[in-house]
Amino acid sequence: MMLDLTLNARPTALECEPDEMIIHVLRRAGLSSVRETCGIGVCGACTVLLDGEPVSGCLLLAGQAVGRELTTVEGLPAEHPLPMAFDAEHAFQCGWCTPGMVLTAKRLLEENPDPSDEEIAAGLGGNLCRCGCYVRIRAAVRRAAA
Amino acid sequence: MQDIKYGRVVHRREDFRLTQGRGLYAGDIALDGMTHAVFVRSPHAHARVLSVDASALPAAAVALLPEDVAGLGRYGCQLKDQDVLANPARFVGDVVAAVSAPTPAAARAAAASLNVSYAELPAVFDPLAAVADGAPLVHAESGSSAGDAVSIGVRPLAGTNVCHRFRLVHGDAERGFEDADVTVEETFRTAGAQHAPMEPHATLASWTDGGRLELTTGTQTPFNLRDDLAGVFGLEPDRIRVVAPLMGGSFGAKTFTRLEAVVACLARKAGRPVKAVLERSEEFVTLGRHPAVVRVKLGAAKDGTLVAKRVDCWADTGAYADCGPGVTTKMGYAGIGPYRIPHVRVDALAVYTNLPPNGAFRGYGATQSVWASERAMDMLAERLDISPLELRLRNLLRDGDRFATGETMRDVHFDECLRAAADAVGYEQDPRGKGLCVLLKGMQTPSRAAIAVERTPVGYTIRSASCEMGQGVRDSLRLQGAALLGCEPGQIEVPDPDTDSSPFDTRTTSSRSTYMMGRALGEAVADLSANGGERGYGEIANEGGLDPDTGQGVASTHWHQGAAAAAVSVDEETGELTVERLHAAVYAGRVVDRAGAELQNEGSMIMGLGTALFESVEHAEGQITNANLSDYCLPALGDLPGALTHELIEREGAEPHGLGETALPPVPAAIGNALGSLGVHVTDLPMTPERVAEAAA
Repeated sequence: MMLDLTLNARPTALECEPDEMIIHVLRRAGLSSVRETCGIGVCGACTVLLDGEPVSGCLLLAGQAVGRELTTVEGLPAEHPLPMAFDAEHAFQCGWCTPGMVLTAKRLLEENPDPSDEEIAAGLGGNLCRCGCYVRIRAAVRRAAA
Repeated sequence: MQDIKYGRVVHRREDFRLTQGRGLYAGDIALDGMTHAVFVRSPHAHARVLSVDASALPAAAVALLPEDVAGLGRYGCQLKDQDVLANPARFVGDVVAAVSAPTPAAARAAAASLNVSYAELPAVFDPLAAVADGAPLVHAESGSSAGDAVSIGVRPLAGTNVCHRFRLVHGDAERGFEDADVTVEETFRTAGAQHAPMEPHATLASWTDGGRLELTTGTQTPFNLRDDLAGVFGLEPDRIRVVAPLMGGSFGAKTFTRLEAVVACLARKAGRPVKAVLERSEEFVTLGRHPAVVRVKLGAAKDGTLVAKRVDCWADTGAYADCGPGVTTKMGYAGIGPYRIPHVRVDALAVYTNLPPNGAFRGYGATQSVWASERAMDMLAERLDISPLELRLRNLLRDGDRFATGETMRDVHFDECLRAAADAVGYEQDPRGKGLCVLLKGMQTPSRAAIAVERTPVGYTIRSASCEMGQGVRDSLRLQGAALLGCEPGQIEVPDPDTDSSPFDTRTTSSRSTYMMGRALGEAVADLSANGGERGYGEIANEGGLDPDTGQGVASTHWHQGAAAAAVSVDEETGELTVERLHAAVYAGRVVDRAGAELQNEGSMIMGLGTALFESVEHAEGQITNANLSDYCLPALGDLPGALTHELIEREGAEPHGLGETALPPVPAAIGNALGSLGVHVTDLPMTPERVAEAAA
């Protein structure tokens, strides 16, 4: 089937199977920042924004994105404050989880422009970083909020 | 090198690429005509494969069947005990066949079309049961020694499940215990753990028309892998090329031969490139951390002077040895601790069981025995009625002391690390609810590191086989190179390791690269300067090794040294343990990349927190029962202690010091000892609420 959606601000049509999760469709479209990691929606590494809300690409059926606006980290402007803050705070090591962290943090800051440490921990509770960069990730979110 | 200023905070060349999601990992790479692999895994813990019926295989798929691998060699980094396809299957998840097809979905369907018949065999799931008389044998015969990949003499005990026995004898432990005024003895256990790098294992294999194997694979050990595969295929090593791109974390998981042998065979049979990317559940049957039983007996004089120690280890290496012999050796000598003890005896066994294989894992054996050894120190302090800090300080190794291996210790900083950790939590003012741990951990010895530098129009290219997994080795080399070459770090390119163009390196493990490759780089730059400034080559080797029967020799030419301190509170009714404060102090010599070094400390501590509190691979009849990231929990941001702090201890003029793992092993014991100071004595990791409540009752 064809999937018509707005992908990173551009009207896009993508080929997909009816029973396929969106992560595979996006990766075939060359959006390699969406990374299959746990496959069950608990690690946040394949987070995408669906109409601005973070969702796990591994749990979202492709068809559910029809007619909606979908954003991956590739769709953020180069000077977006969140990637800049992650860069400035050295808030990653291997970089695998960073796109999901950035997108989740983006929505967190839209809802709460000045989150406390506890609110950042709760907001990013569904994003895992096995390298353990959390101290810096928290600092990056604070920096982007400032 | 005295005048070189390191320790700058710089931005990695690839930083912005990574924060924009543009990092490319092995699984992101594609070749024309590539197909996808899926593995067919045994549902039985131990079973002979009677037949594999491929009559229903879809036409577009290719199957790798037992008859396809009949003539191939065995592999394994320390014992060659593994076949490309297993028969018998020795654990639930052992690969007995594999398929490739044009898409991952088609490959899954093709895998399901194979019909494998098995005859079940008796199995064993516990290292103590596996060494008991009459235990089923996981391997009918010992694998042969793996030759030059071995850094230790491997000592399998024929006719048993022991694939390696490491013994260390220093003085006369039995006589020592007779002389001791006080003796404590306890048995400790540590759970199996998953490395759980966010990026799963991924491998892409293809064969050239000329019969050369080319692999792009997430690996910390490109040369070891190349040599192991050369043995499988009967090829000269230079007929195999291994390219190692950026990894999305590894922590020891991506070492030696993992998927590569099977994927390479499939690619050869299919006549086209084949890629495999593991699912998360498969990660749990690919490699883990050794669960271990460690028994410690410790004797001291009334004044707290240690007189004798006995350390016995049973490390469950699973169905294949992998580097279990090396892990077990290090577990054995790290369990002695950084102490002067006149009489020591260590007996450490790497034991086969019918569970998935265990291998290198950040901390490499030290995590298990440091838990036991440092908990025992606090038990001894309590018996002696001496402060645990005082007991440690009284016995710590000092510069010029001899360790139980017979080697003389140099550049010793245990005292500073321990005092720094204790001070950070106010230990001397009030030790209640607080705990300490100090450790030593060896670096790969012997080993060799070589590197090449060449001038380019933009600056320089540095080629080495030091693999990037997020630890920041490329930045480390770039920074050291910039200081040595007098250019900016951004002018230095560090291409991915490639066995065709990178000089030999033993491997990217044991926190050795900044130190060893950094020294080799110094040689290479000197060579470049002396020879016209266009190109230079440098090579460094460290010599040593331990006799596996006596434990005498040189365990390490470069000692990782660190300490941790914790402050905790506990709800004795529910067993809920709260870590309020965690601090680690690590000897850094001279920091090369400050942000990178700090991230290594923080990452080690947070991983140690998971080991201490909740990470445990569970199994029932050989089947992993929590093989996903919902049931196997990793530390999240909300799991951080109220205060997580650390320090890098530096000394003017010192050499850069490896620190990629040092802050992990001391964390569980610091927390366990803090709990112990409240009268709650836990012996088994992780310290789950159930265990804590039971110990408090």
